[in-house]
Amino acid sequence: MRTNNMTPEWMDSEVSTGTSIMAVEFDGGVVVGADSRTTTGSYIANRVTDKLTKVADYIYCCRSGSAADTQAVSDIVSYHLDFLQSETQEPPLVRTAAHLFKGMCYQYRDQLSAGIICAGWDKKDGGQVYSIPIGGMCVQQPFAIGGSGSTYIYGYVDSVFKTGMTQEECMKFVTNSLALAMMRDGSSGGVIRLAIITQKGVERKVIVGSDIPRFYEG
Amino acid sequence: MSIMSYNGGDVIAMMGKNCVAIACDRRFGIQAQTVSTDFDKIFEMGPKLFVGLPGLATDTQTVAQRLKFRLNLYTLRENRAMKPKTFMSVVSNLLYEKRFGPYFIEPVVAGLDPKTNEPFICSLDLIGCPMVTDDFVVSGTASEQMYGMCESLWQPDLGPDDLFETISQALMNAVDRDAVSGWSAKDYVIEADKVTIKTLKARMD
Repeated sequence: MRTNNMTPEWMDSEVSTGTSIMAVEFDGGVVVGADSRTTTGSYIANRVTDKLTKVADYIYCCRSGSAADTQAVSDIVSYHLDFLQSETQEPPLVRTAAHLFKGMCYQYRDQLSAGIICAGWDKKDGGQVYSIPIGGMCVQQPFAIGGSGSTYIYGYVDSVFKTGMTQEECMKFVTNSLALAMMRDGSSGGVIRLAIITQKGVERKVIVGSDIPRFYEG
Repeated sequence: MSIMSYNGGDVIAMMGKNCVAIACDRRFGIQAQTVSTDFDKIFEMGPKLFVGLPGLATDTQTVAQRLKFRLNLYTLRENRAMKPKTFMSVVSNLLYEKRFGPYFIEPVVAGLDPKTNEPFICSLDLIGCPMVTDDFVVSGTASEQMYGMCESLWQPDLGPDDLFETISQALMNAVDRDAVSGWSAKDYVIEADKVTIKTLKARMD
């Protein structure tokens, strides 16, 4: 309840990455994508946010929920992975990163509000996508969607997804899904950021303005 | 959760040279979810008199209907069109009647005097306090953003075309910083001899 009405609503609201995030696995890597809106209440604090955070050279995470919580957790996981890389002299496995995320999100589940998708490429298992929703469970999936905007596209992704897609098909799938979510969810919007992670490295892309696909607009 | 930001929505009105403009966004949402993108918040109350009703959507519809009712009876009794300044008092009265259980809208009135074509804009709070200005008025969930845009962009004595550009840019850039407004916009430019209505293509996020 707001007892003080002199200050605008956004001054008492937590910063949230409302969000639509997604990751899809293909043969040879993964495509991860996110919108770019950060809100404090209904004020859009940042309309060009980068929610795709690097935790290792070939491992990225998509963050949704409290901006502070997800930034803190991904900083800590990134530190652990870097330390591990020094010890083992090898790039970390995606499943290791996912389990580190899971460990923190589960142990501090009562204090955190963080929904994370961890995806990347490693030499052992190729491209992988792990979903770590609020509560701290960890599950590997061929593709994952998350954030407040994902609720609007469950039907769409289930009807369109097929196994054995190429990199280009995955990029189109992510772009179209996020565009639909951004259209319906007030907490998602801005530009679509993509990262394509393969053995060759990480390619970042941004889709802005009229390049964002448009569908039925009611 | 604030009642005034439950559905989201904004209206701006600006004064020009012998003309006024009023614009609104077209989103209808329930908290974060967008339900439709053709929900106008501006209603015609006379050939040169418009009212914008941002706030709780159910009250937007109810107040528009009740205002039209009162205006129609006035027109029948007086046999003439209502002046914008008088209409402001009608709105104020309707809202203050509900002083201790108000309608959750903060109206904006824009129009030209039926006889002299003098331009007029004003806004009111949810319990009917009127405020008349000679530059611009804003109301809605992105009001702080709209104030910033209007203060920077508005100048006195803009012609109809320039006024259209100014009010469009002010509204569109303000709602782009608000999570519960936007999804296209509608502009009304009211001059002595015509009203130009334009629907603006905007960000649909």
